Amino acid sequence: MATSSLRDKYCIVGVGETEYSRHSGRTTRAMAVEAVRKAILDAGLRAADIDGMMSYQNGDSTPANWVAPDLGIRLNFYMDVLGGGSSTEALIGLAMGAIEAGMCRAVAIFRSMNGYTEFRIGGTGARAAQPVRGLDLAQVPFGMRSAGQNFAMTFMRHMYEYGTTSEQVAHVKVAHSKHASQNPKALLKDRVTVQDVVSSRWIVKPLHLLDCCLETDNATCVIVTSAERARNLRQRPIYVMGVAGRVSKPRTDFHWAHGPISRVAGYYAKDIVFGQAGITPEDVDITGSYDAFTFTTMLQLEEYGFCKKGEGGDYVSSGIIELGGKRPNNTAGGHLCEGYTHGMNMVIENVRQLRGTADDYCPKAADGVHTYDYGPRMCRQVRDPEITMNLGWAMPPTGSALILRR
Amino acid sequence: MPQPAQYRGMALVIPDNDSEWIEYFQHARQHRLVMRACPACGLMRYPPSPACPWCMGLEWTWREVSGRGTIHSYEVVAHAIQPGFKDATPYVVVLVDLDEQRAVPTPDESLRIIGNLVRPDGSMESEREVAIGRRVRVMFQDVVDHLALPQFTLTDEPPVGRVWRLPE
Ligand SMILES: [Zn+2]
Repeated sequence: MATSSLRDKYCIVGVGETEYSRHSGRTTRAMAVEAVRKAILDAGLRAADIDGMMSYQNGDSTPANWVAPDLGIRLNFYMDVLGGGSSTEALIGLAMGAIEAGMCRAVAIFRSMNGYTEFRIGGTGARAAQPVRGLDLAQVPFGMRSAGQNFAMTFMRHMYEYGTTSEQVAHVKVAHSKHASQNPKALLKDRVTVQDVVSSRWIVKPLHLLDCCLETDNATCVIVTSAERARNLRQRPIYVMGVAGRVSKPRTDFHWAHGPISRVAGYYAKDIVFGQAGITPEDVDITGSYDAFTFTTMLQLEEYGFCKKGEGGDYVSSGIIELGGKRPNNTAGGHLCEGYTHGMNMVIENVRQLRGTADDYCPKAADGVHTYDYGPRMCRQVRDPEITMNLGWAMPPTGSALILRR
Repeated sequence: MPQPAQYRGMALVIPDNDSEWIEYFQHARQHRLVMRACPACGLMRYPPSPACPWCMGLEWTWREVSGRGTIHSYEVVAHAIQPGFKDATPYVVVLVDLDEQRAVPTPDESLRIIGNLVRPDGSMESEREVAIGRRVRVMFQDVVDHLALPQFTLTDEPPVGRVWRLPE
């Protein structure tokens, strides 16, 4: 597929996040303000330099136009969209479009959520009590409401069609826990084994507890501006080579109608994003494949062509996705171990990796000095990565992708 | 119709202006499983929707289907998040390929529907019985006077294709 491209014309120039915790004790507004402020300072910008702001949420956050004035930011453009996973990459593309259209010059994109203490992703509490209407009537009355319940039949069918095993996908959690053990920010820093994963209690078969990510309180932010502007800022510019936003299968309402149901949206997104970037999966040094569940990482890696369709189980259990392997995935620990952010922390991590400043336990990490010793409480910087890719997931039929370079 | 219907602690809301669902559930209350069918191209679709996804036709009729099908995939919920399902765990949710319109209009498309795997008396079926490839038929669980939910129960018909379930 031939697509037009803004390759290398836009950059991510600043990143910021709050603590990842289960006890924020404050509003999503206060957390968003902290994350946006950190990203502005990281970029070496001032409040007056930011004139665009975007956020994504599910009625669980504070809108952009409440956050900007707290920091003295006057906006020429703002927009809050409905959505969770796959929004980060999509909004980076939209921010580029807004700047390209002349609507604004620099856009801060944030996600702020008390994902543990207020609105739990799993659908418990207030979410479980919501009335069931419209399309929800096709699933929810049958006890199918949470993300895990919504995705599990996709995972089960993949096991049926390709022989994928619980032990294979457990390696995703194993790898991400290894990476999180080198991340001072991570909510879970303990390394786990395949046996730990497959012996943890069932949530919804084929998902064990440790196949599922962590509900977390946090806010995260990235700042997008033109490459021209980026060259004079504090950080090394990280260029956007390609972006695909919320690419979908033929049916997103009741996606089960269109098979194979073990196919996910990356099948359609890969040609767009690789076409823009002009690269192939072999050129990618680090992946950030969304790990709402172990299976989502695996499904996307195979759909984007990092291995053949159906061989995702082999791929994720081969060591390739671990630090020290050929193409590590979610080097900060991802949603399974660092914290659940609806995708933003995986983009932030890739930006830091490309800068060479992964904030690990190396004393001079901020200056780009690393030991490359991947033992616990040590280093998590990949040696000289040039290209990273994020594979964002909303649900089996919808996903986004982002290719970055240094 | 009286609103809402209460089922397992959930409020099921199907207002009189719900042009997609209201007649579907009225048929279900008569223990008929119906699909919207497009008069222009003849294809059925589920869930009920205001237009035909294959020809954009806005017209539709209700067409009864046999309710027989094959388990395409499934899941077993061990940890319920809806309070009304806590006492039902572990319960099985099945994705059923209905016999009608299989692999039509393209090899990738089929009429599929989701329900619980239940016993003929309506109680939740044991997870030990579920498998991809096993045959099922629809049965109706009366919720209130005006509403029934289509559910699925196993039959002793020979399975379709390979029979598979998650290894213990
Ligand atoms: Zn039609």
